[in-house]
Amino acid sequence: MTEQASRREALDACIKCSVCTAMCPVTAANPLYSGPKSIGPDAERFRLEGIEIGTSLLSYCSECRTCELTCPSGVQITKMIARARRKALQNKKGNIKTMPLDVRDYILGRTEYLGELASLMPKLTNILIGASLARKAMESILGISSKAPLPGYGSKLQNINRKINSKKKQVVYFPGCFTKYNDSPTGKAIIKVLEYNGYEVIVPSFNCCATPLEANGRFKEAEDTKRKNLALMQPYAQQGIPLITGCTTCGLALKEYPSFEEEGFQKTPLKVYDLFEFLWMLYQKNELRTDFKEINTSLGYHASCHLKAQGIGVPAIRILRLIPGVKVVELDQGCCGLSGSYGFKKEKYNIAMQIGQALFNRASEGIRTGDFENIACECGVCRVQINHGAKVETNHPVWILMQAYGFCE
Amino acid sequence: MWDCIVIGGGLAGLIAGIRAAERGKKILIISKGLSSLSYSSGAIDIGDVGQLERQTDHPYSLLRQSVVRAGMDYFQKLFPNYQGSWGSTEIMLTPLGTPKETTLVSKMQNAGPLNNADIIVLVAPEGLKDFFPDIIKDSLEKNYPKARIIIYPFKISAFDAWYTLGKPVTGMEYANYWNTPSGIAEFKKLLISIHRKIADCRKNFKEIKKAVVSPELSSSWSKPLQDILAETPFPFIELTAFPPSANGHNLYCALTKKFKSLGGELLLGSEVEFVQCRGKIAEKAIVKSKVSSSAFAARSFVLATGGILGGGIEVTPDSAQETVMGLPLFIPSKWTNAQFLSEQPYTHTGVEVDNQLRPLDSKKEIVLNNVRIAGRMLAHYDPWSNNCAGGVSLATGWFAGENI
Repeated sequence: MTEQASRREALDACIKCSVCTAMCPVTAANPLYSGPKSIGPDAERFRLEGIEIGTSLLSYCSECRTCELTCPSGVQITKMIARARRKALQNKKGNIKTMPLDVRDYILGRTEYLGELASLMPKLTNILIGASLARKAMESILGISSKAPLPGYGSKLQNINRKINSKKKQVVYFPGCFTKYNDSPTGKAIIKVLEYNGYEVIVPSFNCCATPLEANGRFKEAEDTKRKNLALMQPYAQQGIPLITGCTTCGLALKEYPSFEEEGFQKTPLKVYDLFEFLWMLYQKNELRTDFKEINTSLGYHASCHLKAQGIGVPAIRILRLIPGVKVVELDQGCCGLSGSYGFKKEKYNIAMQIGQALFNRASEGIRTGDFENIACECGVCRVQINHGAKVETNHPVWILMQAYGFCE
Repeated sequence: MWDCIVIGGGLAGLIAGIRAAERGKKILIISKGLSSLSYSSGAIDIGDVGQLERQTDHPYSLLRQSVVRAGMDYFQKLFPNYQGSWGSTEIMLTPLGTPKETTLVSKMQNAGPLNNADIIVLVAPEGLKDFFPDIIKDSLEKNYPKARIIIYPFKISAFDAWYTLGKPVTGMEYANYWNTPSGIAEFKKLLISIHRKIADCRKNFKEIKKAVVSPELSSSWSKPLQDILAETPFPFIELTAFPPSANGHNLYCALTKKFKSLGGELLLGSEVEFVQCRGKIAEKAIVKSKVSSSAFAARSFVLATGGILGGGIEVTPDSAQETVMGLPLFIPSKWTNAQFLSEQPYTHTGVEVDNQLRPLDSKKEIVLNNVRIAGRMLAHYDPWSNNCAGGVSLATGWFAGENI
């Protein structure tokens, strides 16, 4: 994109209507944050002239992308803020500058290493996560809030190595760190559902999708991680084998992977699908197994921010509504607040809880009044946060499919 | 496959979607972002229907009065908190306090009671952005010469952090505050102290007619605030707000909530790149999503992308184009009128349709048989000088939804 064109897209498209700031969940919870319009398109005018303003506010953006979705003029506000944040950090490395980058970012960015470590001794890890003394120490030394709902660990989801076989219907499954280390039963359920629909599932030894690294300012490591994943994916992509993920954040990240084409890295673009997006595609081709058992249940469904940002609608609701007896209500209360590791941080825990309050109220109120019986959401950390804030158990929607297919007797 | 895909999630698109979903149709609305309702006052201008019906090619003349009326009735059935009746006008206040005629106003925006007031108290919170109490006072004095205008300044402790930072409180933040538990509790106290203030300044307090004018709280959309106001002994009137506006946004939220509760799906933040057609039938909407494009197939389509300001028509120095289906446009030969506030010819730019709202080409032949056009995308009207933006959206949205 020429500089002229980028200026036009970035700046002139913004008509200063302030809808983004009015809708921003962080602005609503934190008066110190001046909001997406201010640190996005407004400050961009200065940044383009080489003047950096408000850099200390940049890390308060939780990258939920509500501003981008709600902008009536299609301005890519979150991306603009993320670029500025990255630049501010780089400036710091080179010389001086504003943003603190500490051990915490180093740790929270590494969901994968944490997962590997924890899955060696999940029980011990869970005891530590639950122990208040250990959590107090983590808060004072690392700045990780002692109240934050750090997810527990279980047995690790194993890789499945299979040869590429053009005679079979195959998919590659990207579990993502949360499913791999914290919630492997859901990973197994997703594999089961795909297999039941006639697909052979391959799970290579993927690295983290790199979103946690980026969100915590480790841009170089993020890029390296992406390159590794792309290299791993390449043989499958060349055979046109789709890449499926049941995690909406991983899905968004993978869909936005750069091609690194300039270095001859990635030749074939990845065909990335959200699990339910893929199942809906099968359904439209009459290839989805619909031998559903009737399940009499009602669900409150929370659409995660990163699902919304994919621009594919809410395919999970469409699929679940195909199952006889299942009723689905969309909770429609915006962001849960946790946004990856944002709400784990000491100074952001309260903001995150305040952001999620409307969702927590709707969830617990709905269950109390019998509006719905259970809550479903694809995103692992949204589920953790809803569980924490509303004290309501929340599951991946694939479990309803598992029941409908008769796998959960 | 959907029964209908509505492209554009503004007033026209949402009304079309709601009506069709209510009739049991499977509907997907695809919307680029929040609709301009979020930065509108929330009031609905329908205009002089009898006169506009006689205006050549005006959407009212294509659909006739009965459809305009049906659209308006349908809207009021959905939202009984709106006041106004067929053939008459209501008065609302602009953000600067000037009375303006409109057709439907949310209950607390109705400025009618000001005509009889002897005392008008203007609620003036400190630090509110784009709020100019002195100008509003002047304007109320000019327009309601019988009334004495008293400014009632006050501070809200919930905004202490804003005051300390020197950061203005935005209208949306202000309105949202009054809908929180602490705001609701404070609201009662505020009304009591205003009541005292009026009592202090006049001895014959009981006989005089009083009214309170306040920046927008969007109380028409709040059950707890409505309950409190029902017991308040004076009319409480909200000014409209500069964009973005809580009343407009709450109308938008209520529309989307209604649509979703009827089983409709709203795809927000996605743009339709183009619509795939075969002959005179539109088949699939191709949506720009992250990796590749996603295709959404439907039996019929409603195009409600909102004209020039909404981005549905792209204007360059040489031409104007409808961005989604590439439909032929009516473009007036002369674009502008030197008199800025009079009728502007460019506003008539849009898609010409038959009386079923199907798009026509310059030979008046139907371009696509299963597509209907609704709202601002239609040709041959100036929503501002004709005062009919809301009415056209309601009538054409309802008609499209009724016939999907």
